[in-house]
Amino acid sequence: MRGGRARDALVLLALALYAAPFFWQALTSVRPDAELLPLTQLWPSRLTWAHYDVVVRQSLMPRALVNSLGIALLSTLLAVSVGALAAYALARLPVRGRGVILLGMIAATAFPQIATVSPLYLLMRALGLRDTWLALVLANGSFALPLVIWLLAGFIREIPRALEEAAAVDGADRLAILRWVVLPLVAPGMASAALLAFLFSWNEFLFAYSFTATEASRTVPVALALFPGVFEVPWGDIAAASLLASLPPILIVVVFQRYLVRGLLAGALRE
Amino acid sequence: MSSSGREAADRRLGWYLLAPALVVLGTLTVYPALWVLWLSLQYRIPVFGISRWAGLDHFAFLAVDTRFWNAAWVTGVFTVASVALEGALGLTIALALRGQRHGRRTALGLLLLAWALPSVVTAKMFEWLYHPAGGLVNFLLGARAINWLGDPALALPSLILADVWRATPFVALLCYARLLTISPDLYEAAQVDGASGWRTFSRITWPLVRPILLVTMLFRTLDALRAFDIMFVLTGGGPAGSTESLTVYAYRALFQTLQIGFGSAIGAVVFVLVMLVAAAYLRLLGRAERTA
Amino acid sequence: MAPRPTRAAAAGLLLPLVLALLAGACRERPVAGAPITLVFKHAKILGPADPVPGLLRRFEADHPGVRVQSEALTWSSDEQHQFYVINLEGGSPPFDVMMLDVIWVPEFARAGWILDLTPSVPAAERAAHFPTAMEPAVQGGRLWALPWFMNVGLLYYRADLLAKYGFRPPETYDELAEQVRRIRAGEHDPRLDGYLWQGKQYEGGMVNVLEALWANGARLLDDRGRPFPEPDRAREALAFLRGLIESGVSPGWVTAADEELTRRPFGDGRAIFLRSWPYALDLFELPDSRVRGKVGVAPLPRLRHGPVGAASTGGAHLAVSARTRHPALAVELARFLTSETAQRAMTEGAALRPSRPALYRDPVLVARDPSLPALHALMLRGHPRPITPYYLMLSTTLQPEFSAVLVGRKSPERAMRDATAQLEHLLRAVEPALSTPR
Repeated sequence: MRGGRARDALVLLALALYAAPFFWQALTSVRPDAELLPLTQLWPSRLTWAHYDVVVRQSLMPRALVNSLGIALLSTLLAVSVGALAAYALARLPVRGRGVILLGMIAATAFPQIATVSPLYLLMRALGLRDTWLALVLANGSFALPLVIWLLAGFIREIPRALEEAAAVDGADRLAILRWVVLPLVAPGMASAALLAFLFSWNEFLFAYSFTATEASRTVPVALALFPGVFEVPWGDIAAASLLASLPPILIVVVFQRYLVRGLLAGALRE
Repeated sequence: MSSSGREAADRRLGWYLLAPALVVLGTLTVYPALWVLWLSLQYRIPVFGISRWAGLDHFAFLAVDTRFWNAAWVTGVFTVASVALEGALGLTIALALRGQRHGRRTALGLLLLAWALPSVVTAKMFEWLYHPAGGLVNFLLGARAINWLGDPALALPSLILADVWRATPFVALLCYARLLTISPDLYEAAQVDGASGWRTFSRITWPLVRPILLVTMLFRTLDALRAFDIMFVLTGGGPAGSTESLTVYAYRALFQTLQIGFGSAIGAVVFVLVMLVAAAYLRLLGRAERTA
Repeated sequence: MAPRPTRAAAAGLLLPLVLALLAGACRERPVAGAPITLVFKHAKILGPADPVPGLLRRFEADHPGVRVQSEALTWSSDEQHQFYVINLEGGSPPFDVMMLDVIWVPEFARAGWILDLTPSVPAAERAAHFPTAMEPAVQGGRLWALPWFMNVGLLYYRADLLAKYGFRPPETYDELAEQVRRIRAGEHDPRLDGYLWQGKQYEGGMVNVLEALWANGARLLDDRGRPFPEPDRAREALAFLRGLIESGVSPGWVTAADEELTRRPFGDGRAIFLRSWPYALDLFELPDSRVRGKVGVAPLPRLRHGPVGAASTGGAHLAVSARTRHPALAVELARFLTSETAQRAMTEGAALRPSRPALYRDPVLVARDPSLPALHALMLRGHPRPITPYYLMLSTTLQPEFSAVLVGRKSPERAMRDATAQLEHLLRAVEPALSTPR
């Protein structure tokens, strides 16, 4: 029973200050060009939508947003569908070498991307997949897969065995149990895993930068990093593009916070 | 069906269910991991069709390459400083949040925003904040001349600060979740006994939150060792290599000069380093858990 | 038991893949009977007006049934290079004619990405360009690209300020430093900078360092490709550059400055000297420019052991992709865009200088731009950066070392030692030895 409303408000204010860099970027995105450099006053004299106009109409961001969305959705689908099956097998079925495989999964979550990017680059090149969605779907999906499997295996293990045994007694075979008993119960966990996988794919930069060349497959982080400026860096436009790039993450944090938190906690608390 | 028959059927099913994942991981994670070790022993420059055996030449070169050791130093400093700051700051935020009654969702939302943003967005954001003439930092400090990202002495601390901002919420969230599970009865008992704030913290809170803090520091250490996005976009390894980590060095070798063999050698070093650190940390955690 | 789990597993794996394949397959397909479209890839042209669209329309008018689609590259030279490499290395690049920085031509030729133009370009046409522009385009006796526009490094100075103090344009850097000191002492303007140049860690920075080396009679590589054949002079040159910053002749921020970041302050009247390319002159002479009519152009000064005007040449060439589906047409487009008519149009419309010496004496052009004859002389004195397919690899390996010297993080000796070690490691991979180094 510590403090009161005042203390709570203070903490909220402190956290709002913590997020201030983001709010500053949002303000920058509506600040007129003339007042960007040099900075003379905190609040702009007027607000402008010009930067968003440039980003939406003249930059590659709209196409990049489409690319990112498609790639993120597909790689999430890949990771979660393949991962759910594998997680069930590892969590519930007497697979030989289960412990080793699970350990391998955990080790795989620690793989540095910089180590696998050169072989993957050669692989994508050999398969003619450079500058395609498929390359990134595969790369992102496979990179998120170990974490998804680890998370889902943990969630599945939390389901009481009694429920599955009851269904077995009723005459259901393994697959039916998986489909009708386990999956519905682990659905929230799958949502959490899917959110993490989506977020990872949306934010992913290294693979996207290395495997893409044109706007056919350029994702949002790459488009932002390569934002064109002919004479000087267009900070206002970049801020606007940054805000657009942040929409899905913001959405996830605000609307799906519960699932996101659950996913993060499960990943770390399960040791 | 007999029980052993059922078990055999289960085992078969298990392999079928595992197969897609194993195929995906096998081709896209395990095979490349082995391949990169193979590549690190070659001179391989696809643009010019160069592909020959190099043996350990790349590694012999790296052993005496000042740029490599500079990158190792930058990686080390970045990792240690970031993780330490994130641990301290994260725990502090978690403690502050623990007593929160109203607006918990908003508080978490504000906190997690920093973590959820793409690192490129964060990099651009901080690049603008640190801008000598247009940046908020210099404006608030009233200093026009400080070139945060252009001064070799200031660039690395500035970079570390940006990454700490981005990653602290993760640590804070996990510590916060753990703190919530600590029964309030313990604190009431301590209050009744007249224990001071510090006593309460060191005797009750700290032992219970330490394991989770160690786990998150493990995650953060591995992430910091592998960090690429933020330093590549924020400083590009500059000025003059003062923020060039091993990952950035590897990337430049790989994609700027297309020395696939040499770049893979640096990547292989990072790979082994990360695995060793992970193994060491896990052993430390195991020992800590046993003594707890 | 067997069919259902495999089906489930297969569905789990195949479904997203199929979706992705469908998505990837949604690419444009060429329609039969449509006009032939050539894709011309080039960087945005700086300057008052863009002459390229007009030229392309003229080509289309002369070639009915042919459309030329112009596509812009990003601004950064490094990114342009990465774009080209990724596209050309992978197979069928979606462009026919491309604009290349002159330093990439040997690399692209060696990699087999560009078409051999020798049979299509007569010797007379070749001789019509500056020799220093043709040199990088010729590899192994074959012609691989045609010069499009030409650049040379030069010294801009505030003629009004120099005249006020009775100075001529400096011939040595010692003179330059002295002039900076005296002018700044006389003007009492703390915001007036001395000498601006590009010291950022990128290709432009490399150019500045090379020019300093050459100004002191030092080369980067000898004929066998070994680095720093004149180590003492090289060391002096590097120390000189660092000295410019330490003594305050140049402001500290030049170590993070590129062409545009240095052009603007000079154009706002806040600097006495600037090292840059010819394009800046057009921008300084714009009606609303604060330094209009006050800017003079001179060859780069020398250090102790080198010549005056040891500037780097630069510019862009046009090459044809080896995988183009319309080689004859693409070559024609390249030849048209580098012809005298086209280069004349470019000189008139944009802040570009032609690669054809004849145009520098053309009365109409000289009347519009009186600096042309002076530039002509400068172009003749300049020389190219090391002509080797591995130039970019060299440059990106050396840039951090030189940057460390400029920023004061390393001594010139140490930087040269580290640079040599790195170069030797690089060259071990790309044997045999290089050709025509400087």
